Amino acid sequence: MQTDKDLFDLMKEAYPLNPREDFVSVTSDQLRRAARKLERNRNMKRLSFAAASIAICAMAISWLLFYGGEDLIASKFKMLEEGKMSSSINKAEPSVYIYQSHNLESFLPETQVNDPSEAFHQTKNITLVGQRLSESLKKRGIQSIHDQTDIAAILKEKGLPFSKAYAVARESLLAALKSHPSVKMILDIHRDSKKRSDTTININGKDYPRIEIIVSRSSDHYEENYKFAKRLHDQLEAKYPGLSRGVTVKDDGPNHYNQDVLGRSLLLQIGGVENTLKEEYRTADALAEVLGDILKEEEAK
Amino acid sequence: MFDKDHLEERIDEIYKRYYLDVYRFLVCFSGSQNDAEDLTQEVFIRILHNLSNIHHISNIKTWIFSIAKHVAVDHYRKKRFSSLFADGFFRQMASTEKEPNEFMEQSETKQLVRAAIAKLKPHYRAVVILRGINECSIKETAEILQCSEAKVKVDYHRALKELRKKLKMDMKEVMGNAN
Repeated sequence: MQTDKDLFDLMKEAYPLNPREDFVSVTSDQLRRAARKLERNRNMKRLSFAAASIAICAMAISWLLFYGGEDLIASKFKMLEEGKMSSSINKAEPSVYIYQSHNLESFLPETQVNDPSEAFHQTKNITLVGQRLSESLKKRGIQSIHDQTDIAAILKEKGLPFSKAYAVARESLLAALKSHPSVKMILDIHRDSKKRSDTTININGKDYPRIEIIVSRSSDHYEENYKFAKRLHDQLEAKYPGLSRGVTVKDDGPNHYNQDVLGRSLLLQIGGVENTLKEEYRTADALAEVLGDILKEEEAK
Repeated sequence: MFDKDHLEERIDEIYKRYYLDVYRFLVCFSGSQNDAEDLTQEVFIRILHNLSNIHHISNIKTWIFSIAKHVAVDHYRKKRFSSLFADGFFRQMASTEKEPNEFMEQSETKQLVRAAIAKLKPHYRAVVILRGINECSIKETAEILQCSEAKVKVDYHRALKELRKKLKMDMKEVMGNAN
């Protein structure tokens, strides 16, 4: 008992230093079983996770295939690609396409200039009126595509004359029609250059910029366009007397104002250079209301 | 799915390699074969569950011993006062084939050693068993008990001193009684 080793030897003798043999084998089996069970549980978890992923994928695919999610995705991508299109993103398909061939057309009160020939602005321009029309339609449950292509910038970049604006606008228009066959109405929004007295009317104490509806006679869809223009005029007259300045038929027009693309294509001059954006929005809302009526009447038929 | 028997193989390998070490530590710590066997099982079940969670174990030997020590201390706390004379001791006696006198003397010494060990405080007990029975190095012992090597050295000497004192005292008493 002198050295540490003696002491340890004594300790070793004092205890049964080997477990029973059957204990060793039983424990080994038990551990293997527990390990298998653990592994099984883990695999089950993995499996259920995989199954859940597959189910979600299947749901997404069926949504794409059967519920028209495809178009939503396509339009989303288009938006990302061009960064200019704010198309409707609801379930319903867009029925109206709104664009501005002369997208920089602006208003004297907004640009702080006096010369109507200089009333152009990079941001405060007619595009906002088209945007307002699109939003106003949406509030009425009508989906539209509002094209915000900066046509002036494209013209400048390609060194094209101003008269080519319609040709440039046509590209986005054709692309949109291809991906949205549901579109049945095309509106090109402009503003006039006439004096305020010619482009403004007071209805119930509020100034409304007036709308001139322009149809190109040379386009293939002239008759359908004209008929539609007349109908729009009549319905505007009924609700907002004097708001419409009537239908103007132009014998020609650069590119037929793109009115050959689809029946019911119109060029609308909303107000003039001396109107304010606030007024313009008022007319845009009124126009949306009447357009909404027309579309709903058709749906009911 | 691809590593189906991985866990089973791993735990089996670890068990085969370390069960004796773990059992020996526990039997000395608890003083009972039955308890030591139960605790050994618990240690390896704990190892198994941690194996599937822990990906990197730096030193498997010290890791296993530290689990064994935790299990032992937990058990010690549970039955602090009832581990002096366990049934494993009597079973062991029954299987020895020695002359009654010799046997009595032998077993009395064993009993004294066990009692002395059981009286050591758990930390000292762990140090003595790890160093003396499991033959762990000072560094390994420090890792297992999560203290410095210096503390292991000091505690080891103090524990042995205490153990010797107790044994000497008890032996004298036994001799005195015998005479």
